[in-house]
Amino acid sequence: MRTASPRWLKVARDVSLHQGRTLLAVLALATGLAGAGALLDTWSLVRVATSGTYLASLPVSATLRVDRLDDAVLAEIRALPRVAAAHGRRIASALLVAETGETSALLLAPDTFDAADMARLALTAGRWPRDGEVAIEGSSLELSGASVGERIRVRSGAREASPLEVVGVAHDVSVAPGWMDHVVYGFVTAGTLERLGAGTREIQFRVRDDAPTREGVRAVAEEVRDIVEHRGGRVLAVTVPVPNQHVHAAQMDSLLMTQGAFALLALCACALLVVNLMAALLAGQSREIAVMKALGASPRQLLAMYLAFAAALGLAATTIALPLAALVARPYAALKGQMLNFPVDGFAIPAWAFGLQASAGVLVPVLATAFTVWRACRSSVAQSLRDGGAVAERLVTRRVAIPGVGRPLMLSLNNAFRRRGRLALTLATLAAGGAVFVAAHNLRASVVESVDAMFAGLRSDFLLRMAQPQPPARLEALVRAAEGIAAAEAWIGAGANAPRGGAPGENFTVLGLPVPSALMSPPIVAGRWLVPGDERVLVATRALALDDARFEPGGEVTLVLNGIEASWKVVGLIEGLGQPIAYAPREALARARGEAGATLVAAAVIPADRGHSLGTILRTRAALEAEGLRVATSALASEVRRALEDHLLLVVQFLGALGWVMLAVGAMGLASTLGLAVLERTREIGVMRAIGAPHGAIVGMLQAESLVIGLIAWAMALAASVPASVALGHAFGAVMFPIPMHLAPDLEGSLQWLGAVVFISVAACAGPSLRALRIPAARALAA
Amino acid sequence: MQALISLRGIRKEYPTPAGRYLALDAIDLEIPAGELVALVGRSGSGKSTLLNVLGGIDRPSGGEAVVGGEALHSLSESGLSRWRGRSVGIVFQFFQLLPSLTAAENVMLPMDFAGRGSGTERRARALALLAELGIADQADKLPATLSGGQQQRVAVARALANDPPIVLADEPTGNLDSRSARDLIALLGAVVREGRTVIVATHDRAALAHASRTVSLTDGRIETARANG
Repeated sequence: MRTASPRWLKVARDVSLHQGRTLLAVLALATGLAGAGALLDTWSLVRVATSGTYLASLPVSATLRVDRLDDAVLAEIRALPRVAAAHGRRIASALLVAETGETSALLLAPDTFDAADMARLALTAGRWPRDGEVAIEGSSLELSGASVGERIRVRSGAREASPLEVVGVAHDVSVAPGWMDHVVYGFVTAGTLERLGAGTREIQFRVRDDAPTREGVRAVAEEVRDIVEHRGGRVLAVTVPVPNQHVHAAQMDSLLMTQGAFALLALCACALLVVNLMAALLAGQSREIAVMKALGASPRQLLAMYLAFAAALGLAATTIALPLAALVARPYAALKGQMLNFPVDGFAIPAWAFGLQASAGVLVPVLATAFTVWRACRSSVAQSLRDGGAVAERLVTRRVAIPGVGRPLMLSLNNAFRRRGRLALTLATLAAGGAVFVAAHNLRASVVESVDAMFAGLRSDFLLRMAQPQPPARLEALVRAAEGIAAAEAWIGAGANAPRGGAPGENFTVLGLPVPSALMSPPIVAGRWLVPGDERVLVATRALALDDARFEPGGEVTLVLNGIEASWKVVGLIEGLGQPIAYAPREALARARGEAGATLVAAAVIPADRGHSLGTILRTRAALEAEGLRVATSALASEVRRALEDHLLLVVQFLGALGWVMLAVGAMGLASTLGLAVLERTREIGVMRAIGAPHGAIVGMLQAESLVIGLIAWAMALAASVPASVALGHAFGAVMFPIPMHLAPDLEGSLQWLGAVVFISVAACAGPSLRALRIPAARALAA
Repeated sequence: MQALISLRGIRKEYPTPAGRYLALDAIDLEIPAGELVALVGRSGSGKSTLLNVLGGIDRPSGGEAVVGGEALHSLSESGLSRWRGRSVGIVFQFFQLLPSLTAAENVMLPMDFAGRGSGTERRARALALLAELGIADQADKLPATLSGGQQQRVAVARALANDPPIVLADEPTGNLDSRSARDLIALLGAVVREGRTVIVATHDRAALAHASRTVSLTDGRIETARANG
């Protein structure tokens, strides 16, 4: 040790000499690294689990809904050169009937439960079902309220509910989690579906290509359609998902990317704090640097010394952040895995993720401080040696004077601007935190406003879905007659398809409303709403128009409804609830599909019953069922809204938390700046005390300086929140749905940020003030 | 005899809020090797600035400075650093020891920057120098625990660490008691006797008595430059 290089000994001892500030910087850096690292770990873990679980299940490339299916058709499809595997299945919507209510269910009857070449299913408990039995998909087991060995009652179509014994729990990674979609997925035999009297036939195939394109799969689907039609069958719909991508994967990636971008911003703010620390250290060592240069140290040697110090800070922070990030990432990735319906247990965070974090941990402080260190190492030796005291006092050549402002406050204002470079760093750290904080508030306001806009046109309080289509007039009359109902409308809900180039397109829903509708009058984004006299016209939601540009206002589109083709004109665009839906005049829709029955009833309750809509629903259902009309499901508009808001605001809450972390980092930066200001002005404070300044005056001076910095950061953050809100809005829009941007800072967020900044200013000042008061006047003057 | 140090028309100006300040003006000076030169003058006369120019710490605003055969005005910042490490030892009025390093480590530092010898060799030389200056027992103490005189001896040992031909000292006795000051002047005399050139900016009469040459500065100009009897 005694023969060790003294310059590296100096670096090591400087770390221990500046323990407090070094610890602050290491903690701040570790916080930023842990945040960004946790998201990287989560993302990488989900990616690894995706390829290990989802892709390993050999997901389906396309699904064709057909009117008939036999083994010969499947054999011919399997013989296609680009098809790796093909299977048939039956699928039926159903209701799980329990004493507490009804839950939507989807019953799946694959031709085999043990397919090894495509859409592999896993049995996690029990056994595969025989006729009269069911295996429930694990993600919907809790929703079903049943467990293996118990019986559930299932109703499909108009038949009475039938009991099915739960004999197993299955895992199908291709379906969205049942708990998220509020659907119970059940695997049954084709015989069970026959008994229930329901089921649609589907052909599913997987292409040979390991990296197929959607267009490539569509082309194969065309070949399959030709085979079906050549053998006398009819293809009712074709669904081609994004190849090898889980149904929620794109959302998940975008969500993690957006969160990751802001975590990186937080990391940058933390890096600014390290710059602040390094600037403080270098300012305190300007004379030592000059002495070392006088002794023959080259700027490059000095640069290496101080950058090694920064790297050591990074290394210490990385040591803390790496395990912390992994600790946070595991449960977070597990949550994401639950949302994708596959577990991440058993998968390890890839080594490259750790390597990337370690590299970033060391490089971020080095790169962030490089310029500050370079400038300090290039400073004039003579100038640094001439500067008096341990820390150079900046020569004040200009002073700001504001009429009516007292001398102590004026001194504080001037002090705040004395070290402009450091002030800029402090402001940048604090303002970046404030900008994310305010932007998260703006996003929250935008989301709430968007949800308001989505529900603005919906004037009904609840929606009933009938088990069977009913004449609209009868439905409306019965519901209106129920106690507590103010208005009711029967709507037709029809599945539609818009063929493209002769091939079936994606399926979506067309809702037929009475025109004019008293319960649906949404704000128009473009074009117009439905008006009396309209015939075959449509108003599309934004989600539908984004999927298919033919649904932009002014477009003409051919729809297949109930197997009947007809041309429709698109006249308007609305925001919608993020689902692809088109609205049409009820009577025109009935004529176009050759079926006048309505399956939906929208109802508004009388104002006195607004808080008791659930009771009104029960009474209405009872009234309908007394007339022999069975209600399949019911949904309260307020609950749908709350579920949607909760889902969306989860993202906003994450950003709000990130904003708080950044504010904490900003507070550390401000405390560090004020501490250095006290150190630099030791002599000045000594003079003030020598000429009789009371403690209050000195603390007040520092407090005012702190508040000045805080208030400037407040204003800067409000300005910076505008582009941050735009960026967030775009990112959010890409992940969830387009939302209107809130460019003006949200008042509540701005006031909360003001409160936070005042608190930070007062708190950050406490330590430096105490230190200033402890400086003996004689020592201060001798410094 | 060829001059070790040759200054021609050296001028040094500083910009100040009050305008330009002329610290040195038309300095012509030649100093042969092996002399103890005293720079004298009132405070602000330009003594320290001249030492800084001689040590390559400050660049002249005009003129030529050739020291030990090297034209300092033409060297880059890195070149000047390397030259300083090799050719000049500097003793400061306030010692300027690095507080986080022990006495021996402070002496080893210039050797470290110059890449001279191994760690063991550097320590051995540092201990030898400290022993020569009579403070070997203080080698592993931090500067804050040493007296002013001891600190200045460490500073002299540090200045001699790379065996430079020139030693520059700026008011080296200014912060010492009279006995320590006397010892330091005797030490610098011994350094000269080893064949080095020592240039001291000083007010100290004892230092003046030991000087072989005295250069008197007034308002940045050389008033007199004479060899002492």
